[in-house]
Amino acid sequence: MSRPRAGRLIALFALMAFAFGAISVRLVVLQVSQAQELQDRAFDQRVRTIDLPAQRGQILDRNGARLALSTPADDVYADPQLVDDPWATATRLSPLLGVGVPDLVQEMISDGTFVYLARQLGRDASDRIQRLALPGIGLLPTSRRSYPAGSLASQVLGFVGTDGVGLAGLELGYQDVLAGTPGERTHELGLSGQAIVSGVDEERAPVAGATVVTTIDRDLQFQAQAALEQAVEEQGARGGTVIVMDPRTAEVLAMASHPWFDPNAFEDAPSATYRNRAVTDAYEPGSTNKVITAAAAIQERAIPLGMRLTVPWTMPVGDYIIHDSQPHGPLQMTLGDIVAESSNIGAVMVADRLGAAALATYLARFGLGRATGVGFPGESNGIMLPLDQWNDTSLATMAYGQGIAATPLQMVSVYSTIANGGRWVQPKLVRGTIAPDGSLEPNEAAPTRRVVSAETARMVTRMLAYAVQDGTGTNAQIPGYQVAGKTGTARIPTGDGSGYLEGQYIASFIGYLPAGDPEVVVAAILDRPAAVYGGLAAAPLFKRVALAAIARLGIAPADRVPLPPHALPVG
Amino acid sequence: MSQPARRFEPAERRTPPRTSARPSARPAPARRRTQPVAPAHKRPAAARRPRPSHRRSIGFVVLASTVVGSMVFGIVVVNVLLAQTSFRIGEAERRVEELSEDNLELVREQATLSAPGRISAWASRHGMRLPDDIRILHAPGSGSGEPAGADPSSGTTDPQGTMGSGAKGDPPT
Repeated sequence: MSRPRAGRLIALFALMAFAFGAISVRLVVLQVSQAQELQDRAFDQRVRTIDLPAQRGQILDRNGARLALSTPADDVYADPQLVDDPWATATRLSPLLGVGVPDLVQEMISDGTFVYLARQLGRDASDRIQRLALPGIGLLPTSRRSYPAGSLASQVLGFVGTDGVGLAGLELGYQDVLAGTPGERTHELGLSGQAIVSGVDEERAPVAGATVVTTIDRDLQFQAQAALEQAVEEQGARGGTVIVMDPRTAEVLAMASHPWFDPNAFEDAPSATYRNRAVTDAYEPGSTNKVITAAAAIQERAIPLGMRLTVPWTMPVGDYIIHDSQPHGPLQMTLGDIVAESSNIGAVMVADRLGAAALATYLARFGLGRATGVGFPGESNGIMLPLDQWNDTSLATMAYGQGIAATPLQMVSVYSTIANGGRWVQPKLVRGTIAPDGSLEPNEAAPTRRVVSAETARMVTRMLAYAVQDGTGTNAQIPGYQVAGKTGTARIPTGDGSGYLEGQYIASFIGYLPAGDPEVVVAAILDRPAAVYGGLAAAPLFKRVALAAIARLGIAPADRVPLPPHALPVG
Repeated sequence: MSQPARRFEPAERRTPPRTSARPSARPAPARRRTQPVAPAHKRPAAARRPRPSHRRSIGFVVLASTVVGSMVFGIVVVNVLLAQTSFRIGEAERRVEELSEDNLELVREQATLSAPGRISAWASRHGMRLPDDIRILHAPGSGSGEPAGADPSSGTTDPQGTMGSGAKGDPPT
């Protein structure tokens, strides 16, 4: 065996030395100079941080019935760069997404690497899409807000956008409470996506949103809406509003404005229907405002209860002539008669004796001109001029409810104050919240204030009962129950403030029962009904809703209150 | 050659370090060192038996292999158990999530089915309707209030509410 030549050995050695040297250099580069960067890149590839969305809280009615809740859903997206055959993919997805094939293809041939094909798809459909295993099509877990009762109390509840944020109603007003706090999970994943046992695994658990318990009674709300819808159709009205309130607690049991919408498909409804007009829109209340004039006059002893005023049909006020709704000769009327027959002239005569300052004071005490603080987003203050801006007709017109604007909720609150013995209680739409651990946190006690004395309130109740028994509100009578209430037929101001729309009125009736021990206040308001007058158009609506409240709440009759001193013949 | 092997001996078997000044506690190896070293190829068969230090090395290797093997096996077993547990936890978490989702879906379905609008529509389809009028009956002596329609003068006996002036056609306000 011949010995290898030294040159070969040297060359081989040099080659190996070079190879090892190169490897060593590469090792140094990888392990020293780029070590940190490569470690970080590897770590980033293994470690995933995923957001853990918080479950949005539910919205319940006062008895625990679910009005809004969130269910799991998926967003469907496409990466157009990875979609093999857009037409074939779109054809398979179209029936599951409910989107046309051309529209899907249009999305899938667009530039970019991410495009939504559908949002908040139900789990049944998304499971089927997942089973299709289409290249370039993916799912992102999310949730979908559901309103099981459809349009029931839709304007109160509001709705949630596709990103899970409340956009209207209580969903908006209680966004912080309902949304909860999202969490996140950081963990190391293997190639197959399975968590690496000994790897990083840190989780900050999401905190679910609290459940909001409203004061709404679901069944009563439904019946109120049904009655309102029927009245709007019968009267050919442009719309209407109904509010039902418990005067003892000022809790709103039902609140609806027609037309309404289905929050499950709010995109399809006109945005005007989103507004909860019972809270956000002010109207001139008309004669229902006379209750404030009467209460102030009684409280201030501006007119003896048995005093008879000679009330003509017309009266000059400033540059205008005001008149009652129907021609009549001079009538001898007490304050009770004026309220029961809803005499504008009589109300002006009472207001003259009361004085502008006192009337302004009582309008403010009853809560007009400022939001009730019910906690609903966009609540209107109403419109009430400061006393120093009143003109020579302000006192007269405000006495019978024109030249002043209030929300339906404010007006219900006025009647609720009388029904509650003269004590105003801040209206409530939410009773409290239920934390994720199940503990109920009731709302703070509602602010209250005394507006008029209990005696004054009782006398006003007698006058309102008289109005229903023998005045303008007889269509609101309910067999077996004594109802106290007041009609209103108000002119509608033009949008530019130049005056009033000719021949167009808002008809209303606000009342409560049983008059002797009120348990429920109902406001029924119709926008431009065919029957025009509150006593003819709105009082029947009041009656329907009040009957539903009697049955639903189990209201028993109470002792009857006597009629107030009156001069007009009864019956 | 025997020095490193002794470092891995168990402590109780370890002997004090030997020095040339101290007499050996083990005469046999000492004696062996004093024997003349014969060429390897001429060593008799009896002399080729493993020396005690060699036997100790083999024993140590076996022991160490066993210990290391056991440790490796144990680590593998623990990892397998951990992996199994991880899979089980993952599966349980997925199951909990699925059941929670199913529960939410059932809750939604229950709320939908109990919605008054759906019930009302169902009842209407089956020929049911709300009563035209509601009368509240009171047992005698049950307290205040009067039987519905008991006071003709109040007009409350008229379910249509047509007895008052408002229905006479005079326009109220």
